[in-house]
Amino acid sequence: MSAQPQPTEAPAIKRPSGLSPRVRWLRDYFFSGVHRPWNNEWTCWTTGTPWDVVYEEISYYIVPETYPFLSPFRASTLQSARPVELPRDFWRRSLVERRAWFIREVMVHHVPQEVLPGDLLAGGRFNILASRCWSEREARERDRLILGKKGARAAVKWFHDHGYGNAGATSGHVIAGHERALRLGWRGIHDDLEARYRALSAAEKEGESGQQLRAMMLSATMPRELAARYADVCRQLAGDEPDPARVAELERMAAQLDRVPWEPPRTFWEAVQALWLNHMLVLADENYPGAGVSFGRVDQYLLPYWQDSIAAGMDREFGKEILRCFWVHANTAYDAMIRVGGNQGITAGFGQLMSLGGLGADGQDTTNDLTLAILEVIDEMSPILEPKPNVRLHRDTPDPLLDRVVDMVASSQGAPFLLNFDERSAAGLMRQAERAGLGAQIRPDNVMDYASVGCLENTMVGNDRSGTVDCNLNLLKAVELALTGGWDLLPFTDPITGKTDRHRRDGPDTGDATRFESFESFFDAYAEQTRHIVRRCVELYERSEQARARFSPTPYLSCLIEGCADKARDVTRGGAEIDMVTIEAVTFATTVDSLLAIRDLVFDSRKCTMAELVGALRDNWEGHEKLQAWARHRSPKYGRDDDVADEMARRVMDLWADETWQHRTRATDRQFRPGMLSWNYWVGDGYVMAASADGRPRGQFLSNAICPSNGADLLGPTANANSVGKALGGKDDDGEGDLAGYRNALPNGASHTITFNPSLLRDDEHRGKFKAFLRGYADTGGTALQINVLDAAVLQEAQRHPQRYRHLLVRVTGYNAYFTAIGRELQDEIIAREIHKQL
Amino acid sequence: MTHSLASPPGAAGHATVLNIQRMSTEDGPGIRTTVFFKGCTLACDWCHNPESIDARPVTVWHGERCIGCHTCGSICEHRGLSAGADGIEIDRDACQRCGACADECPALALEQLGTRWALDDLVREVAKDRPYYERSGGGVTASGGEPAVQSGFVAAFLGACRAQGLHTVLDTCGVASEDALLAMARQADLVLYDLKLVDPEVHRRHTGRGNEVALANLRALADDGAVGELWIRTPLIPGITATEENVGALARLLREQLDGRVARWELCAFNNLCQHKYERLGLPWRYPDEPLMSRGELDRLGEVARTAGLDIDLVQVTGLARRES
Repeated sequence: MSAQPQPTEAPAIKRPSGLSPRVRWLRDYFFSGVHRPWNNEWTCWTTGTPWDVVYEEISYYIVPETYPFLSPFRASTLQSARPVELPRDFWRRSLVERRAWFIREVMVHHVPQEVLPGDLLAGGRFNILASRCWSEREARERDRLILGKKGARAAVKWFHDHGYGNAGATSGHVIAGHERALRLGWRGIHDDLEARYRALSAAEKEGESGQQLRAMMLSATMPRELAARYADVCRQLAGDEPDPARVAELERMAAQLDRVPWEPPRTFWEAVQALWLNHMLVLADENYPGAGVSFGRVDQYLLPYWQDSIAAGMDREFGKEILRCFWVHANTAYDAMIRVGGNQGITAGFGQLMSLGGLGADGQDTTNDLTLAILEVIDEMSPILEPKPNVRLHRDTPDPLLDRVVDMVASSQGAPFLLNFDERSAAGLMRQAERAGLGAQIRPDNVMDYASVGCLENTMVGNDRSGTVDCNLNLLKAVELALTGGWDLLPFTDPITGKTDRHRRDGPDTGDATRFESFESFFDAYAEQTRHIVRRCVELYERSEQARARFSPTPYLSCLIEGCADKARDVTRGGAEIDMVTIEAVTFATTVDSLLAIRDLVFDSRKCTMAELVGALRDNWEGHEKLQAWARHRSPKYGRDDDVADEMARRVMDLWADETWQHRTRATDRQFRPGMLSWNYWVGDGYVMAASADGRPRGQFLSNAICPSNGADLLGPTANANSVGKALGGKDDDGEGDLAGYRNALPNGASHTITFNPSLLRDDEHRGKFKAFLRGYADTGGTALQINVLDAAVLQEAQRHPQRYRHLLVRVTGYNAYFTAIGRELQDEIIAREIHKQL
Repeated sequence: MTHSLASPPGAAGHATVLNIQRMSTEDGPGIRTTVFFKGCTLACDWCHNPESIDARPVTVWHGERCIGCHTCGSICEHRGLSAGADGIEIDRDACQRCGACADECPALALEQLGTRWALDDLVREVAKDRPYYERSGGGVTASGGEPAVQSGFVAAFLGACRAQGLHTVLDTCGVASEDALLAMARQADLVLYDLKLVDPEVHRRHTGRGNEVALANLRALADDGAVGELWIRTPLIPGITATEENVGALARLLREQLDGRVARWELCAFNNLCQHKYERLGLPWRYPDEPLMSRGELDRLGEVARTAGLDIDLVQVTGLARRES
């Protein structure tokens, strides 16, 4: 070979470009992290009572890594909390009114207000951990639900330890009604609340309805008070500012803050200023630093302001400058835990998501100049994480948008955004309308107003809380329980204490699997266990849902979710018009492949008996390598566009989704609905869950969301996408289905990632093919797609673990080859070059 | 073992297929599914699919997948397999190509190259990506080997695809009987035609046959009203096809004999990607130390092609270039 592996240049990592000195400074300042004198780190605030709590652990029940730290977090945040002087009648007020007062007091009078140099938007610190405002009795009652052997905390730990997953009533993950808040201003929202309050009877005013509306009215004045403080800051800065241009900006900002967000904005700048304050106060109200607190369709509801300001003479570039400042602000959410870990608190994308483009209610594409301006801003600012964009595509996405998307994919090691697919997504929401009796709220003529939360979780906007990350269920657990007749395959030993739980039957007795004479008998057992684990998940969720509903109201957020004022009910108590809890299934493909392997190994190819298979799994496949290899390599797999395997995927999907629709929360009457997100659980729970029949040993990753198992999609992206579409329900040729021929079992949507080699984007001709792939995906694929374009580091990873990258295509003269199937030396050769430019 | 040009076309009912590659982006326009048919009429020194030359199935062993369970040894009734110092050794004389070992190999370490496909099944298989073809202007490509070795089946296959509204491409080396070639080409919307060398003797030396038939067939195709678009493809093999003399002569030939008939000429840079395939088949690879071509060489050959009087947009140079510091 010619090629001694040559020194590799760093891959062409995307760099920001075209930024003004102002924005470059702000961006660099943000990334200077802990070295910044200013940050938005959590500050803690207490009523000063000895029983106070400022850390609401329920929001972290879905983060198993935090379980060992919940007690220390609770103690240390209280220890560092500063006392806030309370009004005399504080403890006579209702809990929701106490909380509304406390948050407002902290944000307006205690948290410092600052404006960074050059910044065009006000609204700095918002990460607070504020007293839960519980009386001694409330604190005691709440702790009874949470702590101790029978509390929610122990229950969620048990659920996780035994491989079921996790569940907890989590903050964020909602799209506030920003369009309405801009249209009415907070004055309009406040007036509406006041009118509703006046209409209450005297008894109602005394009761919960009155308490809730009074709390919301108080919260509705918080943005006005805060804006007034920031107006003062701007005027003060202007007084000390030598640069006349900056003085003018600061004075303009002050004048704007005198108006918005209390009054409706008149200009684009005012609208973005109002939007930012309205948004950051959601994070403050929930004491939650941003995860899934999403913006909805900003390119639609900000468009009138954009157009008016441009028509009135705003330089388009200045409009983008305002947006760039908005981007910097959104990233400061991460400051909450800035000193945690080595990456200034950034452990995962928080997903302050915005949806861009897509079909409108009238069936026409809505891409506009603001859509493109926002994409330009993302491209110029990238790499940057927040706000996270989700570009909506459909069968007839206009070429200029698709060109822009593909250009950005090509230059950014994969998309700096997620892609959502309207037809399949909306079909899922139409199914939700039918299954949940929401025909009045979700209709063919408004379903395209949907937007995505967090990553890709589809909801309606401004009146919908769907708890999109609250329940995360490992479907694979049902296969394990079916193999054993309701027992954990192996007893659980706590890795920290070394203590082994008593081995006992936790699931229903579905019979001795070694005596089943057909696969269908096994599948029946699996189905019963599936119904069982869904019920367990629902029961677990009820515990924290109930505690949150009683003790953790969010009156400010409730002002921004329609239904809450109408019902005079907090959003945490089921106030939203569309009020769902999503169970996100994890391990889908591992489950499907395990069922396929059991059918193949025990009943079709007869490579072993059921007893031998269960023994091999107990042994974590050790000593059963031949059987394991067959399960891994020879048994059928989901993700290859194989109708027989994909039919199993569909059975698994329909089974668990149907069971999910059977349940509602008791405390808040919220309907459960199905989705597939997986976050990072498919990695971590791979170490928790026992070996699986698809050949996976404990310690190896599970499958991610709706993706085929790692390395199973041997036939490339189109086959992979077709399988995903079939698993969701496929299409009806007669144009029926849930919407326009599309079927979709998952109204929430499903995360799907496909990896491409940069060579597939190397010139216009191939970019055209990639665009066509995306249009084809809209026809046959899933609800959402995340694209990876691999760099050399990933190719090296593929060399080390070829079994995980068998789907990776590389282009060579005249044809594509699977990277892992070519010789080592040429792999080296390909890696040893700067692949972006030269392939 | 290459195939006689006179060999009867494969039975129309079944064909031996080496591989079906979905989302192929290098075998014609758009997103395609390429079907590699087994068997070739040439045996080029530089062949990138040496396993496709012989029309019969062949068993290969992938060492990196083998778990050493020796199931294969106990399966084989022909004493064709043995465990050697470097892993499983296949005795090519004893092996009866039955594939029984591959059928039972749990790890897919033994692979039977060459699968029998019935026409209807194959058409159904390639139709699975129809939405992607429609969106991209893509479709189905019949490649090889040389599809003409199974021309009856391939013609029927392309015809059936076409009848379903799929865009069809034939990828051929042109060394086949004119009848067989025309039968296939008339079912193709586009023909990708390999043109390697102008000199018949050099052609014979490196491919096993002269180029007279290929050149005559190219003219026949070009003149046939029922044959669609024509693209030429030339592999750039250092010192053999990748000379200024050869590329210039090919360019003149295209200009003089096929002016206006060819829509694209792709010059495909040499690479070493197939080396491991030769190892698996136990065949010698003649270019083990040949470096990739430099960007400069590739550009120069592209320039030669263009300056010979061809439309500039016609010529495309594709493939890996050597990284130079």
